[in-house]
Amino acid sequence: MFDLSSMTEYVPAFVEGFIVTAQVSIVSIIGSFLIGVIVALMRVSTNKALQFISLCYVDLFRNIPFIVLIFFSFYGLPEIGVYIDAFWTGCLTLSVAVGAYVAETLRAGIINIDKGIIEASKSFGLSKFRIYQKVIMPIALTTSVRPLGSVFINLILTTSILSAITLNELTGASKIIASTTFRPFEVYVFLVIFYGILTFILSGIIAVWHRHLNKYNGVA
Amino acid sequence: MYGSDGFTIYDIQLWAEGLSVTLSIFLISSFLGLLLGCIVGLVRYYRVPIIGKILMMISEFLKNSPVLVQLFLVYFGVPALIAFDMTPNLAAIITLTGNTTAFIAVIVISSIEAIDFKQLEAARSFALSERLILSKIIFPQSLAIAMPLLVGLAINQLQVTSLISVIGVIDLTRVGDIINQRTFEPFLVWPIIGATYFIMAKSIERIGARLERRFSAYHISNQI
Repeated sequence: MFDLSSMTEYVPAFVEGFIVTAQVSIVSIIGSFLIGVIVALMRVSTNKALQFISLCYVDLFRNIPFIVLIFFSFYGLPEIGVYIDAFWTGCLTLSVAVGAYVAETLRAGIINIDKGIIEASKSFGLSKFRIYQKVIMPIALTTSVRPLGSVFINLILTTSILSAITLNELTGASKIIASTTFRPFEVYVFLVIFYGILTFILSGIIAVWHRHLNKYNGVA
Repeated sequence: MYGSDGFTIYDIQLWAEGLSVTLSIFLISSFLGLLLGCIVGLVRYYRVPIIGKILMMISEFLKNSPVLVQLFLVYFGVPALIAFDMTPNLAAIITLTGNTTAFIAVIVISSIEAIDFKQLEAARSFALSERLILSKIIFPQSLAIAMPLLVGLAINQLQVTSLISVIGVIDLTRVGDIINQRTFEPFLVWPIIGATYFIMAKSIERIGARLERRFSAYHISNQI
């Protein structure tokens, strides 16, 4: 029956897995954010070629399963002479794949900006770059905190798939614990609850942050 | 393509088999998930005590944990607890159905709540039966509201089916893995598998757009 008492000695292994998950998540959140900003700017640019490339990028990576992408990079990168371990393969693929979702979210934030604000900045004689840097991006980012938060929470849940390419993050570590203790049910129920509480706490923090940043502009 | 570099004509057969496994598990779990999700959503909407709360709490955890872990729980965990002979395909269908149910329930609740409450009050004041209200007022309008969400969910759930390859279901992704292990041609195998998923997702999008146009008629005519 349900028994967690024999699990105490495996706490360090679990914590180690959690640290790997946290590391992958942080690196990939930064990476996907940078890629997402660039692709979002390409999406809203007036250059047709940039628009087309960014549209293809977003369309492609949002419609192909992540596990297919990760197998492609895990087996494909060594073939072209790029020898990086599972950790960095995971970070790279996650950044590229989630970048597409970040780009779409930011694009929605950018095209929803009140046109009057942009016209006002133009009438002050600000250069195009300045308008993006000082007006458009700050507004788009503040109104997108909550949707971007959901994208990044999804990213954290997606890191579990990296256990399929031998990375012992939270799920990979738990798999080892489950097979050594012969108590898979307890381990996986605990893991489901753990991920659930983790995302619950994170989305709570993001919601508070979002409300705090959008206090004055009437966007709930 | 086949012959010199290790590919055989049978790889196409393998690909077709994987495709049919992916599609059938996707269709079965989507259908069951839609059915159960509507039930869970209605249970919650009509505020059935205790059961409604418990079902919503379970679906919160299903939505907020990795599907891969849920697959492990059903495939490795459940048989260890109750000595049950679990096959990978059954575990895949159970997990994906549960996962789809959780998302559908939320869509059902939110699209019912999006309907103007005054309509329901008017209908109730005319003493229409709750069944009639549900089928003639709530269902057509909430379907129009829910359609884009359902299409998005379907595309997402199609991609999620690829995870079942990890517990040994011979689906499209697993077929890719098998062929890749034998031929060592990742640059040929994975783009083909990826393209297959891409085309399937695009087809769902196409069909979805058509359905959306059709059902949105209910919504617009009701607003005028």
